[in-house]
Amino acid sequence: MSEKVYILGGEQTDFQRNWTKEGKTFMSLMREAVQDGLASVGITPDEIKKLNKQNKIGIFVGNFDAEQYATQGHLGAFLTEVDPAFYGIPGGRFEAACASGSIALDAAATKIRAKDYDVAIVLGIEIMKTVSSSVGGDFLGTAAYYEKEAKGVQFPFPKLFGKLADVILERYKLPEQRFMGALAEISRINYDNAKRNPKAQTRSWFMNKEHANARGGEYNMAVGGRLCITDCSQVTDGAAMVVLANKSYTEEYAKKRGKKINTIPRLKGWGHRVAPITFDAKVAESKGDKYILPWTRQTVKDAYDRAELGVKDIDVFETHDCFTSSEYAAISAFGITQPGKEHEAIEDGVIDLKGKKPINPSGGLIGVGHPVGASGVRMMLDLYKQITDTAGSYQVEGAKNGLMLNIGGSATTNVVFIVGK
Amino acid sequence: MREIKTVTVLGANGTMGAGSAAIVASFGKAKVHMLARDISKAKEGIEKAIGSVKTDTIRPRLIPGSYDADLEKAVAESDWVFELVAESYEVKEPINKRIASSRRPGTIVSTVSSGLSIERLSKAFDEDGQKHYFGTHFFNPPYKMILCELVSHKGSDKKVLKQLGEYLDKVLGRAVVYTNDTPAFAGNRIGFQLINEVAQIAEKYSDKGGIALMDAIMSGYTGRAMAPLDTADFVGLDVHKAIVDNLYEMTKDAAHSTFKMPGYFQKLIDKGDLGRKAGGGLYKMSKTPDGKKEKLVYNIGADLYEPVPKFDIDFIRQANRRISEADYAGAMDIVKEAKGFEADLARYFIARYVSYSLSIVGEVVDTKEMADLAMGTGFNWAPASAFVDFLGGPKDAIQLIEKAKLPVPEVLAKAKPGKPFYELKEKLDARSLFKG
Repeated sequence: MSEKVYILGGEQTDFQRNWTKEGKTFMSLMREAVQDGLASVGITPDEIKKLNKQNKIGIFVGNFDAEQYATQGHLGAFLTEVDPAFYGIPGGRFEAACASGSIALDAAATKIRAKDYDVAIVLGIEIMKTVSSSVGGDFLGTAAYYEKEAKGVQFPFPKLFGKLADVILERYKLPEQRFMGALAEISRINYDNAKRNPKAQTRSWFMNKEHANARGGEYNMAVGGRLCITDCSQVTDGAAMVVLANKSYTEEYAKKRGKKINTIPRLKGWGHRVAPITFDAKVAESKGDKYILPWTRQTVKDAYDRAELGVKDIDVFETHDCFTSSEYAAISAFGITQPGKEHEAIEDGVIDLKGKKPINPSGGLIGVGHPVGASGVRMMLDLYKQITDTAGSYQVEGAKNGLMLNIGGSATTNVVFIVGK
Repeated sequence: MREIKTVTVLGANGTMGAGSAAIVASFGKAKVHMLARDISKAKEGIEKAIGSVKTDTIRPRLIPGSYDADLEKAVAESDWVFELVAESYEVKEPINKRIASSRRPGTIVSTVSSGLSIERLSKAFDEDGQKHYFGTHFFNPPYKMILCELVSHKGSDKKVLKQLGEYLDKVLGRAVVYTNDTPAFAGNRIGFQLINEVAQIAEKYSDKGGIALMDAIMSGYTGRAMAPLDTADFVGLDVHKAIVDNLYEMTKDAAHSTFKMPGYFQKLIDKGDLGRKAGGGLYKMSKTPDGKKEKLVYNIGADLYEPVPKFDIDFIRQANRRISEADYAGAMDIVKEAKGFEADLARYFIARYVSYSLSIVGEVVDTKEMADLAMGTGFNWAPASAFVDFLGGPKDAIQLIEKAKLPVPEVLAKAKPGKPFYELKEKLDARSLFKG
């Protein structure tokens, strides 16, 4: 990489909150996330104004569907409503379904690597509880090929990821009960981890493996083939913000705080690949391949190659568990196991908080919540916390390198970042 | 961590009993003896419990039983006996004697009471029993309201208190507030002070809008999921009476006169209009001639129900707007500057709430964080300390309290300037409680 990209920190909103019920607007969600984030990083409006004068700061907003959920577009310019310090700062909105936050991060990192900006403010944001779950489900269908995969389908995404579960079972000839038990364990781990996370949507919800395994019936309804409510992340309002910076700015930033630059995490690697958009095309393309989602695997490999690291070097993972089946497939994509053997890592406690390769200590999308456009930025914030040893009760001890995988659609847009010191 | 494998719940058919049993069986994975007056009531409790946490998986762990047939056997095999029978010494003391006679040494016994003396109730037990006796005051409904006031008394063992607190926190996921054995403990002491004083003033201004106006003045912009008189209706006017009568009798603090229940509450109680659970109380749902649902409110002066009037109060509209845009301090600035009778009342009630919440520090709880947590997680009301910050800090809050001619709590008078007064941010984002 030509210019190193550092992460100075950030903040997320409490994903338990329902902003509509609070009688608050989309803008208020943005305002709290940005103000909290800047306060946490320690960047003042005056500092922003100074950077803006030199044209050395940019705004990158990741959002999927504010037009439909909140009747609001033009989000890159919307921070001007938060604070007049944002007047004049170049800003844009980035969209790639559930990977929107990550491609905003990618764009921001690119501008820093290209030496255009010293500092980038990246905000991921989504408000979703403005509409009923069935209307929201239809909105989310636009992240698939709407005409072919979502039109007239109630809750299309659980069905697509239910199909992924079907293909995993068939391709690897797994015993069904064992596979479904592994998916239940993924739920159990994410909910357990979320209980330690004070910003998690589900931190006071009841869940255990017994309940996650009791699929069907009134309390754990089937929503997508073999996937039930406990296999799904839930509709969530939320925003997350991080600040990225180049080396010289970070050096100054660290110096002012009596720190050394090597205590500040940086992006070590990245990957970004797009797979065929329909799920059927993905499956057709991957026939004969070890991986059902080869482009997801390729994205991880790209990031490993750029970082010159391998799975052995990664101490903590944040992955896109929009559904248990997506986390299942991610395990082999990371290289933790061979494809088809993911259940072994789950059963052996490898991905548990105290396991050898902990996945989603934050609780992941199932536990923390999944405000779609915010998820990528939230994952980056969680990696920042892990690498700086500030994750509190969900800290993975001694984490030096972390990897995040954020996917949009049915594993269509794949984005991976590796963060370390 | 103390191991709690078997629990006996007495009063398992009530909302609180069933809801609490559900928490113990689901989060705690404990086997729960669900005891009620008769087995059919206990079975009703089991269905309520399952419905409250929405998981059938706890069904095998819930065992129905009756006091007559099963109490001694259930207690003898329990690690924790959780008693939620009716709120009176006459009911609780004889039950306690039966628990004491079959309790194994080391078994924790706790009661849900919002007013009775834990120390007096503990006297039914031998020395070991007294050491293991506590108040565990859950809030309604237990799955949603995560507060548990853990009440100790002079005879309780500090080590056991700590173990039980850890279990309630780490295993059952409760927000544990440690309180002393004082009337109504923390949450209800603060909450019902405000509710009752609002109810008194509603009577005073019954010709100006009464109940509905007071709730409008104390609505979401003052940091409440539910306005005070709506809350009284939700908990039941009979429960309200039990709590404030007890507080009036047992406390003599500066707010003493505000615990005197207004006469119209008694009038409604006498008519059986106990609140939401009775189909009507301070409010009542009705249908218009064209079949639409309509909320009615009790007109105190005229002794009849009428449609809830819509108040158009400029400063409330402005404050709501500020909150809808996440400008909390801005909303409080509006309240501070507004003119008129409604604004005077809003300022008075906010000052009272902050003043009284913080005044119990030292007597009921050890720290202001405990009082804040009680209100934030037991009532869904914005904690007093968060108000202090949004009002502009301790100096501004003191000014508001002094203008209202109310006592300035010591903890506020001693606050260091320039530092956030609210210190529970990591546990509870108080901003979420202000409704725009």
